[in-house]
Amino acid sequence: MGSIVGVNLALLAALLLVPVLGGAFFAWQIGLFLIYGIAAQGVGFAWGRGGFLPLGNALFFGLGAYSAAAVLRVTDGALLVNLLAMLITALACGALAFGLAVLLFRGRIGSGPGFSLVTLALVLIAGQIAETTPALTGGFNGLSGYAPLAGLDPFGAFYYVIVALVMLVSCGFLLIDRLPAGLILRGLVAQEGRLELLGFALHRVKGWAFAVSAFVTSLAGALYASHQGIVTPQAIGFALSAELVIWAAVGGRMSPLGPLLGAVVIGWASATLRDTVAWWEVAVAAVFLLVILFLPGGAMDLVNRALHRLGLGPRPKALPPLAAPASRASTATGALELSDVGLSAGTVTILDGLSLRAAPQGVLCVIGPNGAGKTTMLNAITGRMPTQKGVVSLGGRRLTGRAPHQMLAQGIARKMQVPTVFAGLTVAQNLQLAMLAGRLNWRDALRPAPLRWQGDTLAALLDDPDVPLAAAWLKSAEHLPQGHRQLLELALTLAPDPRLVLLDEPAAGMSPAETQIMVRLIRAYQQRSGAAVLIIEHDMALVEALASEVAVLHQGRVLAQGTLAVIRADPQVTAVYAGGHK
Amino acid sequence: MKRLLITTALGLSLGVAGAAMADVRLGVLVPDSGPAGLFGPSARQAAQLAAEDINTAGGINGEPVELIFADVGLPPAQAVQSVQRLWRAEGVQGFVGMHDSAVRAAIVGQLRGQVPYVYTAVYEGGECAPGTYVTGETPAQQLAPVIPWLAEHEGATNWYLIGNDYNWPRDTNAAAQEIIAASGGSVVGEEYVPLGSSDFDASLGRIRASGADAVLVTLVGGDSVGFNVAYAAFGLDAQALRLGTLIEENTLAGIGAANANRLFASMGFFASIDSDTARAYTDRLTAQFGADAAQPNGMGQSVYDGLMLMAALGNAAGSLDSDAVAAVADGASFSSPRGMATLDGNHVAQTIYLADGSSGAFEVVTSFDAVPSGVTCD
Amino acid sequence: MDTLVLFTLNATWQIAALALMALGLALVFGLLRIMNMAHGEFVMLGAYAPVLAAQLGLPALAAVPICLMMVGLTAWLVERLVVRHLYARMFDSLLATWALSILMRKGAELVFGRQFRNVASPLDGVTQIGAIGYPSYRLAVIALVLAGGLGLWLWYRRSATGLRLKAMVDNPALAQAVGINTARLSAMAFVSGCLMAGLAGMLLAPTLSISPGMGLDALIRSFFALIVGGLGSLEGLALGASVIGGLQSGLSAAFTQTAGYLGVLSLAILFLWRYPDGLYRRR
Repeated sequence: MGSIVGVNLALLAALLLVPVLGGAFFAWQIGLFLIYGIAAQGVGFAWGRGGFLPLGNALFFGLGAYSAAAVLRVTDGALLVNLLAMLITALACGALAFGLAVLLFRGRIGSGPGFSLVTLALVLIAGQIAETTPALTGGFNGLSGYAPLAGLDPFGAFYYVIVALVMLVSCGFLLIDRLPAGLILRGLVAQEGRLELLGFALHRVKGWAFAVSAFVTSLAGALYASHQGIVTPQAIGFALSAELVIWAAVGGRMSPLGPLLGAVVIGWASATLRDTVAWWEVAVAAVFLLVILFLPGGAMDLVNRALHRLGLGPRPKALPPLAAPASRASTATGALELSDVGLSAGTVTILDGLSLRAAPQGVLCVIGPNGAGKTTMLNAITGRMPTQKGVVSLGGRRLTGRAPHQMLAQGIARKMQVPTVFAGLTVAQNLQLAMLAGRLNWRDALRPAPLRWQGDTLAALLDDPDVPLAAAWLKSAEHLPQGHRQLLELALTLAPDPRLVLLDEPAAGMSPAETQIMVRLIRAYQQRSGAAVLIIEHDMALVEALASEVAVLHQGRVLAQGTLAVIRADPQVTAVYAGGHK
Repeated sequence: MKRLLITTALGLSLGVAGAAMADVRLGVLVPDSGPAGLFGPSARQAAQLAAEDINTAGGINGEPVELIFADVGLPPAQAVQSVQRLWRAEGVQGFVGMHDSAVRAAIVGQLRGQVPYVYTAVYEGGECAPGTYVTGETPAQQLAPVIPWLAEHEGATNWYLIGNDYNWPRDTNAAAQEIIAASGGSVVGEEYVPLGSSDFDASLGRIRASGADAVLVTLVGGDSVGFNVAYAAFGLDAQALRLGTLIEENTLAGIGAANANRLFASMGFFASIDSDTARAYTDRLTAQFGADAAQPNGMGQSVYDGLMLMAALGNAAGSLDSDAVAAVADGASFSSPRGMATLDGNHVAQTIYLADGSSGAFEVVTSFDAVPSGVTCD
Repeated sequence: MDTLVLFTLNATWQIAALALMALGLALVFGLLRIMNMAHGEFVMLGAYAPVLAAQLGLPALAAVPICLMMVGLTAWLVERLVVRHLYARMFDSLLATWALSILMRKGAELVFGRQFRNVASPLDGVTQIGAIGYPSYRLAVIALVLAGGLGLWLWYRRSATGLRLKAMVDNPALAQAVGINTARLSAMAFVSGCLMAGLAGMLLAPTLSISPGMGLDALIRSFFALIVGGLGSLEGLALGASVIGGLQSGLSAAFTQTAGYLGVLSLAILFLWRYPDGLYRRR
């Protein structure tokens, strides 16, 4: 897949050759499928980069097409007015999509089929309205009899307008892939939970992805109006939405150019072969099924693999690192305080009036038998589970009621019990994402420099002879052994320089030697930064080595808190541990 | 990849261009897929019989006609792809199409009167684009003679109008309103349901309450079947007769004999028309296609009429040049299993049949000759 | 008064028909977490069973074995070849069954033809309820759905298979560990769900327009009933069918069919957004 410039020049050359080699009629045909292809790229972006599948993107295509047709009719195709109107409609579609996604994803809907079904229902409603309001849309018979954009002949110059949009959109998508914004989206698909812990609001990230998808799809719809000279309810219907998904899937949703390829090849082949090859539609459905079963990356996957084999694969250039700005997480101060926190799920009470204080500096180890509520306590602190009573605060600022993604800005970072890293990404990309956390503002998301950010904490970790991450730089994180994955997650957690580090069994699955390294790294960070560290651990060796203070949790309450010696002497604690282990 | 595509495309178009162009190529646009897909086979067979008849009679200006079919049971954008391919790459000189109005509007926009185009499907009327000729029945044709006849012979005076919610039913009912008023009847209810409805209980309740003694059904396809099945299940057939303007043989088969009591249909063709030409037509279908012969029906058969009109126009004009055809179009006439038809403007005046489907098969009750289309273009 | 009786009967019929149609979809989703987009096509296959029985000159009851064989065999093949590989891959199973639905529709067009078919109602005529004549066949189906639903509910609560199924839903890995053959149970659940769909199609055939394309409507209506009721429980299904069926009947009677349709869609969106677990949440 060479460089961006190379890919785009090849694409441009291929598109410009179409009318030269195939003639005006062929270019007109391909023009329609390029328009569909842009819309499919929009679907592919939401699906492949946003991780959610819109089943109703013809909504934006249709809105773009209908409003373009209406404006073309009134203005007789005048160029500037129409370009402006197209842009305004596309922006409105983007805003609509953003609002919709934020609203839905902020709720409990997740990236699952729930969202897809909402978009499906929306496009059914839109199709019904388009069909039954003839005054507005011309009804079933459609809106026609208007001049094309700037009077351009759909069989002539208009093709180059389509090519221009294809180039703009493709360049845009290829560029986004190489910017922090693209990395964040990859992180979203790879591991939502970690991205949230890194301080990114998932519903807003998904909102932007859907907005871009809608913006692009609406522009495609606007060109469709000029290309066809008629807009009918099919342009806003479920059937088109479904086809966009098929094209994106078969072409390859993970690649910016895949859906374009899918739309042009399947669309053109259908138009040409439909009347001569019996069973053509069955064949397309069968191909779709086979792709779902055996080739999730679509046709572009095959192309990329072939390019790779020919030695044309991507060769990441190592650029010198840049000093990262200060992290927002590093400025917080104060003690963590939980007072009388209650949390129950269903009829089971998990936290039962828990009160706990962690000093602004030092290492507090929380121990306790299974089911004591240790991990739930972390969930209550980080806003992952709603509490029913009590208050959690840090340095006097109330944390209760805040969303998980707001915790990093409060200075809180968390390492999960099961190592949670961006599985599909390389170690390098994992760490790049961690360096963006707490430091990125929205303008930075669209310039490449932040990808080279490096901080002292991360540099110290990578320079450590016992940390093998630098050697595995370009390895995918899912292929790391368990112990290395724990270290990677520790790096992800510490890179934003948090003031309160929550570690949930950091040594789980590690050998004694690896545990030693972990202990050393945690202590080093604590001493260098003067942060507070709260560790949940079963491994008493680790507790002994690290803890400046220990708290014992039992049945959702703090049984005892103090130095290790005090805890060891506490008769209540010994009773629980004697009885707790069956 | 892209270059490969282009070279194959080139190969295809060159190959086509190199083929013999001696015959007169006519594009026949029929629905092979989509909701109207069930009319595809009968439309293709009708076209083949028409081509035979035209060629037996000497073709168009002495040249035999060759038919090239394309599926247009698709969204308009995809349908016009086929039309353009036939026109630009395969040298088609005239089009005959049987499809929905959205596709027609798109085709008219593409052809812009440069090639003669005959539209044959039942439709709402109003098509006046140059170079476009219509043989399909209009609401005025299907209703103007029929409603007074039903009032006189069946006592139908209180009409309830129900249709799918789009242009054709709304325009048909607008025409029906005027005709019913003129014939002394009244409209006791009018409603529209979304395309693809399957639940008509509320509508049936309203029909019962309205006291209607006749229902004009402008539902299409599966909706019409579902409505009529439920209608009979509720025993409404005893209260009010039904008149459909798009209930042909396939729809009636879906409704079933048990549900078709007092179900009338008004169209330009039924398989059971009692005339020599109509019987000869259905006999030839069975003889030629045997077990594959599709159930003849007004929608499919209309393609035969369309081709006959195209041939008549070409022969009268001396060519299929669109200007030459336009000059001779008005008054051109042709005969078909439906009877004689004459172009009046760009629509035809034709025979309309009223059939009763009570037995589960249509029996023609009466017919009306040379009914004008009611469409005037200026 | 008559209007109210008629409305109540109509609403009951809508609810019963919807619950019947959605049952198979609920079963497959509830047990396997698979959104079976080909559900409607299994309803379609079932509806063709009485058509075939009539064509072959067999008595009406012969439709039952024809339906079970035709639908069962198709479902078994589909499970073996496609669905089996997609358990726990929600999007992929959704898209794959969607592709299947296209294939099955086209297959039906080739085998049965595109034309509409009619199934004569085995129970003709209307039953007088007060001043209202209501189709007897509909009343019979309502009674059957009530009895069948109750029976199924009792069976699921009491039987050993029901227990194993519940274990599998709650924790597939654990169920496997304690010796439940989850692969076979999953296959059984999928085929049963499809058979339910087929039987629904067969029972509703005399009241529907039968053609290869009839599945989409069945699918969409079933989906919305499940969304509102809560995915994957019998109680939720009954509740969802009641709300959707009732709302559609009510809005259609009070306003227009279009209002009913748009109302159902809007309600579905509201539920997906605010109450993704539906009205009935299983504990």
